[in-house]
Amino acid sequence: MSAVAVSRRRGHRVKGRTVLLALIVIGAVLLPFALNAYWLSTAVFVVIAAIGAVGLGVLTGYAGQISLGHAFFLAVGAYTAAVLGGNDHLTAAIWLPAAGIVAGLCGAIVGPTALRLRGLYLAIVTIGLVFIGQHVWFNVPAISGGPGGRAFPPVQFGSFNFGVGQQMTLGGVVIDHNGLYYYLSLLLLALAMLYVFNLQRTRVGRAMQAVRERELPAAVLGVNLARTKVSAFVISSFMAGVSGALYASFLSFVIPDQWSLLLSIQYVAAIIVGGIGTVWGPVLGSLVIFALPSILTSLFPQTSAGGVPIDDITSIAYGVLIIVFFVAEPRGLVGLGSRLAGLARLIGARRRPPRSRIQETQPIEGEEAT
Amino acid sequence: MSKAKLRSLGALCAAGAVVFGLAACGTGSSSGGSSKTSGGIKIGPGVNASTKTISLGVLTPLSGPVAGPIGIPLTAGQQTYWKAVNASGGIDGWKVQLVERDTKYDPQTQVTQFNQISNQVAFIGESLGSPTTAAIQPMLDQLKMVTGAAAQDSKFVTDPVMAVIGTPYAVDVANALDYLVAQKGLKSAKIGIIYQDDAYGQDGLRGYNAGLSTYHFNNVAEATYKVTDTDFTGQVQKMKSAGAQYVVLTAIPSAAAAIVGTAASEGYTPTWIFQGPAWSEFLMSANGLPSGKPTPVAKALAGHVWVLGYQAQWGDMSAPGMAKFLADTKTYAPTQIPDYYYMYGYAEAKVEAAIISKAIANKDLTRQGFLNAKLNLGTVDEGGLIPPVTYTSTPGPAARETAISVVDPATPGFLKLIRPYFEGAAAKSLTF
Amino acid sequence: MTQFLQLFFQGFALGCIYALVALGFTVIYRASQVINFAQGGMLLIGAYLVSVFATGTRLPFGVAVALAVLLLAAGAVSFQMIVLRRVIGQPVFVLVMITIGASIVIDAAIPAIFGGNPRLLGDPWGSSALHVGGVTLNWVRIWAVIVTALILAGFFVFDRFSRYGLAMRATAADEEAAAAVGVPVRRVYALSWAIAGAVAAAGGLFLAGFPNSPNPSLGDVALRAFPAIILGGLDSPLGAVVGGIVIGVVEVLTSGYAPSWLGANFSDIAPYVLMILVLFVRPYGLFGTRPVERL
Repeated sequence: MSAVAVSRRRGHRVKGRTVLLALIVIGAVLLPFALNAYWLSTAVFVVIAAIGAVGLGVLTGYAGQISLGHAFFLAVGAYTAAVLGGNDHLTAAIWLPAAGIVAGLCGAIVGPTALRLRGLYLAIVTIGLVFIGQHVWFNVPAISGGPGGRAFPPVQFGSFNFGVGQQMTLGGVVIDHNGLYYYLSLLLLALAMLYVFNLQRTRVGRAMQAVRERELPAAVLGVNLARTKVSAFVISSFMAGVSGALYASFLSFVIPDQWSLLLSIQYVAAIIVGGIGTVWGPVLGSLVIFALPSILTSLFPQTSAGGVPIDDITSIAYGVLIIVFFVAEPRGLVGLGSRLAGLARLIGARRRPPRSRIQETQPIEGEEAT
Repeated sequence: MSKAKLRSLGALCAAGAVVFGLAACGTGSSSGGSSKTSGGIKIGPGVNASTKTISLGVLTPLSGPVAGPIGIPLTAGQQTYWKAVNASGGIDGWKVQLVERDTKYDPQTQVTQFNQISNQVAFIGESLGSPTTAAIQPMLDQLKMVTGAAAQDSKFVTDPVMAVIGTPYAVDVANALDYLVAQKGLKSAKIGIIYQDDAYGQDGLRGYNAGLSTYHFNNVAEATYKVTDTDFTGQVQKMKSAGAQYVVLTAIPSAAAAIVGTAASEGYTPTWIFQGPAWSEFLMSANGLPSGKPTPVAKALAGHVWVLGYQAQWGDMSAPGMAKFLADTKTYAPTQIPDYYYMYGYAEAKVEAAIISKAIANKDLTRQGFLNAKLNLGTVDEGGLIPPVTYTSTPGPAARETAISVVDPATPGFLKLIRPYFEGAAAKSLTF
Repeated sequence: MTQFLQLFFQGFALGCIYALVALGFTVIYRASQVINFAQGGMLLIGAYLVSVFATGTRLPFGVAVALAVLLLAAGAVSFQMIVLRRVIGQPVFVLVMITIGASIVIDAAIPAIFGGNPRLLGDPWGSSALHVGGVTLNWVRIWAVIVTALILAGFFVFDRFSRYGLAMRATAADEEAAAAVGVPVRRVYALSWAIAGAVAAAGGLFLAGFPNSPNPSLGDVALRAFPAIILGGLDSPLGAVVGGIVIGVVEVLTSGYAPSWLGANFSDIAPYVLMILVLFVRPYGLFGTRPVERL
């Protein structure tokens, strides 16, 4: 009875999850038509950031390497795009992957530091990476425009230009500049998520998770620490590079000051809020971290008249929400989702026969129960 | 489970490829906003013919560290002007209202906030900050929206839609050097510069270098600092050991005060030449008024600091527009203390009123109409509050004149004029 | 020579402030493995509290400072008890996120309440200074060094010779074992936050002294203390102090002497570069101990 019941229950769950996934995909594709320019441009920033967050999720979420240096890799990607796309006028088909590759190479160089350093030591060295990176950006005007910043090229594939004012017409439907960036980023995000989803079930992925849990035992069991950690850095930096390039391209003008520690912290916050060690976590977390300020701002009336400074309140509310959220649900949004799913299952279980004695552990998102 | 997910994601990828591949006619530019006509006047977005109201956008930090010193007073100045205009019947019967959004001085927030209001406003009455305005510049150019850019960075003066008032930072510094060398005859004076490590500082350096090549004076030291620095001993040392007698400071108030204070502590008191934004009345006293309790650096500042500006001294009745300015402030912003950002905002609104007036006269209140009005505006008299503003179809700064004041503890606003507006040789030669 | 001495003194005084910040970080980290990202915010609150008490009331400056210290320590403990205690046992990054949330709140609340313009600190020293052989020693900075020395002396007496100091060291070494033998672990946590708060008040006070003033951007300085913690080694308060002073001296000396090919404002990253170089040789900092792990 038990094996059949388990597989039937698994079958139900698979079906449920597939339906949910399909709904999400359809919703994501149709979203631009439901949003005005304010929300759509916010959504674009969120999706672009999610690409970088998924990357950080691999490094910190799966491999357990604490990195506050994400802003550095974002910047590397962005400036690669600027040089190849802006200075050399190459197409996005070249600079977008190049941004990822160059950033990935930097990740390969930085990766070995994780072999010597762990925990807070590694974290602070990555902070140093951000600051040293900013120092470099401030002092190489040919690449970064110096302290005054520079303009970044819009995405261009041959005759398709995604720049401001451009639009694409598909059988009667008009997609504007925001929409074009949205779909491109969404596609890349889907690819990134697919990659990570597969990664975690391969040897490399499992090796990373082993390293995250307990490094020494993992090494004893034959995990190649060096290769695992460096791979994590490379994958994470590659995605960061692509994300950074898209971000700069969409924003169209960036000053080096923006590649700051605060930016790194936002990405770390995104993966923690979403749920560490999951595929959807970084995406949900990006939604919260990068869209919540806009949501809060739109809830309050805007005025600069004296009296209560309403605009400061949105920032304060944001911080308070983060605190309250973590006190209430430390496992992040994915944990919240699991809790809700568990509730739903509880309600549904009333109609089913009693459970078998065999302990069925709640599988972690994406993994199958062993 | 994995297969299903793979399939769904694969479908998404395929859909994505189709979207881009099947583009009917590639990408093309969007057509400009449709315009209507009402009563013989062409109407564009942000203009309501039935209520005869024109809406202007304001994108400025209303929270965060830049809001208090700059964002809020500047906007208040604009509000005062428009309130006064509306109360006296508007511009040819048209009233003006402001649609304000807080950008927190963050370019990303500025982009999204711009997207929120761009359909509701005729043009942008105020966009504060250089990186923030630069982030929306492509959209402004594409939509042909006139923009009152509160950012003296030189890069905006060559963009036709940018309505910058006042004098660019680079020109200010060049004029200051002209004053020293050409007008005071101090060719052999030792001069140095300390500038902030960002676009603002770069612009000041640019004017400094322009002055160097024009006047060939004795440039003895240059130093930079970062906004997050708290100790300026190194920078002060550089100036001191080089013996600089005049030091240009392209800085923000907290850093400027710290630099002057550090130097004074060490017994080093050159004449400091503050770029306009380096100055704040709160550097002198706790409440920004002469009656307030003096700050520890007040003594070091008094008499040793020149402030470059393009604004009239607060309360100087020899400026024809001052009386109305003060009266309007008393009526609509009675608690406003003397503040030059406030005056800037008021003056900016005045120029925009001239643009609107011309557009009404041309019977074209579309975006293009306002732009045409701006490009053919000619010279607007600001009643002496700031130098006359000139906009033509030739790109260039609105003004190249600078006034120099000295810090005086007894004057309201703490600034006493020592040289009214003038334009020096180096400033004339600066190209943009 | 006077130039060097001047730079050195200023660097030393700045280093003392960094030492205070680093001490605050280390105390909390030792007890609970939490990186308190709100430490900079606490510095900010400290500076503003002193300013409010010293300029808003007729209290003597010393009393105002004492009040600010007590209030901030109490505030820190309250935060720990009301918020952090609810998430005891959760992974450490949850607590770190909460401190990040707190820092966001503080950074927005201070300009909201006090406005963005600088305030008067209200200290009795102002711009006064001692002039010794061509070197100017501002009284604020002299007092910064003195107070830091006193605080450190006090902390070490507490750490080595008092029961709670022992309790804190025990909790830092092995929390479960400490709890098992009756160490009041919760009180140790609260105490570590109280100390961090008190130390932050002192740090904020001196940071906002001449020629600076209490203004909303002071909190960012805390980031500069990170290299100090690492340089000294995470589990050594002495190391944090030494690290802080070294960082301060390096920063100011570099700003005076760095050649221009290193880039503008190299002094800002000099501490991080130094830290990375040290870590190559000693991966656990100058005074840190290599952790022993049981498989």
